[in-house]
Amino acid sequence: MLTIAVSKGRIYQEALPLLAEAGIVPSVDPDKSRKLILPTERDDVQLVIIRAADVPTYVEYGAADLGIAGKDVLVEYEGEGLYEPLDLGIARCRLMTAGPPGRPVASRRLRVATKYVNTAKRFFARRGVQAEVIKLYGSMELAPLVGLADCIVDLVDTGNTLRANGLAPQELIMDISSRLVVNKAAMKMKHGPITELAGHLARIVSARAARER
Amino acid sequence: MFPFSYPADDRWLLPEGIEELLPEEAERLELLRRRVLDRFAAWGYRLVMPPLIEFIDSLLTGAGHDLDIQTFKLIDQASGRLLGIRADMTPQVARIDARTHAGDTPGRFCYLGSVLHTQADRLEKSRSPIQFGAELYGHSGRASDLEIIRLMLEVLTTAGVERIHLDLGHVGIFRGLARQAGLTGEQEGELFSLLQQKARPELTAAVASLDIDPPLARMFTELVDLNGRHGVMERARECLSEANAAVHMALEELAVLAERLGDCCPEVPVNFDLAELRGYRYQTGVVFAAFVPGYGREIARGGRYDDIGKVFGRARPATGFSADLKVVLRLSGLGESFVGSGEAIFAPAVSDPALIAAIRELRDAGRIVIEALPGQQGDAAAHGFRSELRRNGERWCVCPVASKDT
Repeated sequence: MLTIAVSKGRIYQEALPLLAEAGIVPSVDPDKSRKLILPTERDDVQLVIIRAADVPTYVEYGAADLGIAGKDVLVEYEGEGLYEPLDLGIARCRLMTAGPPGRPVASRRLRVATKYVNTAKRFFARRGVQAEVIKLYGSMELAPLVGLADCIVDLVDTGNTLRANGLAPQELIMDISSRLVVNKAAMKMKHGPITELAGHLARIVSARAARER
Repeated sequence: MFPFSYPADDRWLLPEGIEELLPEEAERLELLRRRVLDRFAAWGYRLVMPPLIEFIDSLLTGAGHDLDIQTFKLIDQASGRLLGIRADMTPQVARIDARTHAGDTPGRFCYLGSVLHTQADRLEKSRSPIQFGAELYGHSGRASDLEIIRLMLEVLTTAGVERIHLDLGHVGIFRGLARQAGLTGEQEGELFSLLQQKARPELTAAVASLDIDPPLARMFTELVDLNGRHGVMERARECLSEANAAVHMALEELAVLAERLGDCCPEVPVNFDLAELRGYRYQTGVVFAAFVPGYGREIARGGRYDDIGKVFGRARPATGFSADLKVVLRLSGLGESFVGSGEAIFAPAVSDPALIAAIRELRDAGRIVIEALPGQQGDAAAHGFRSELRRNGERWCVCPVASKDT
């Protein structure tokens, strides 16, 4: 039995067609069910639906053999217990800094609001900037408006939310897309089924990329 | 502040990652400890007990940054020098071999004891593992690698761990490729960590950014896929055909080792992973690890680390493995509890030299006897004893405890 951890929302919606092409179709719709473990039409594969930031934890512990997680979550997790062999090319966006346009650079310590605490610290340290990171769980855009922070670090897709709140994207930290992650022990002990599935997904992803080109 | 907070008196709380074992678990752990040490002894591995604490310079030799962070430190009031509480016993055993083992004969040592870590383990959440392991010094080559792997498998099996999978790799393959490509330490470090994550997209990009020959670049990226049960070595020989002699030697070593393992432990599934480089900084040859279903990472690991004794004045070939007895305890299928009050004998609170002699005789024979205290609550039946000592004329004998209803 292979257990795949997927987070609800955009990643799930975009992963579904990929998984379906690989023959994995959940037999229950997670939006209509309260079930957290979804059987699929393949007897040997099940999905667990969890929060995005929890995917690396489930996979590192071996509670799930595989997972689909955004690169943003993986970079923030800082774990060494995972393999991330495949870029699925879905749920693409950018991790950026953003702030009110035209505001002069503060001469004191920069205050940054984000849910990506580790990533933000590392980014500003590399820039040689002393930054104080304030952990928030959502609505990051509000922080500069109310004087809680000078800027934010967050995912940017269209940039509409930023603009609607009078903020502008500033620096690109990294391009983000979802990865296939694999538990290290599962990779050793379920090598056959896992490499087969990963190989199948890799072929689907490169065929898609070829079509887009 | 919290709707349910800790009681004001929380003196009973233990520090994070520090635990105590209650009788049931402590007794099982002790059973495992004896079994493990007995098995080491049966293979001729001599027990050493390195100190809990020693000068930091000797604890951290060749180990690198991670062990430095993991080590609790304090100042020695006697010498003014920095002391460390051991976070890993391997360097201590290396020091023992280098300083005390005379001659060039093979040195076989085993150890078992508590170590402390400053950072809690990600999976176990523990900062106080009980580390055990074995080291074989003074022999270079397949035979000693094979002996240590067989010993690891046998010790784990003796400790009640079942369905063990073995993972095999060789640090000489990646190291040989890095030398051939003339990588700087920094570049080597970057490729190393990407290989540990099997992060193929990042690895491909990183290799492309290096100014190296296309065949070498291809070999680095193909290393990610050189893993699995069957046919890996054949694929590796093909993929790495343009590599230098060191890489070919490493491949050959691994292939022969795997063949020998197949002969002596045919029941153990062997997985190869040529990009798995556990302990890359100090390992010099074959690396291996044991996995079991239901546990997210290796339960024991080891490999060859020749020259570890160099800083202590004597470089010898070395290979060994180590594991955490607390993890083994959790995965072990050995008896839930091997000593319990059910098997103990209850002795009444009677002042009689004959009773004392009878109790002594039973204890000498390895039985458990618990003496009643005058005026204590509950009799033998109430405490769940199945047998008790009763006077029969001049003599005391062990009789079944009568149940209350009769």
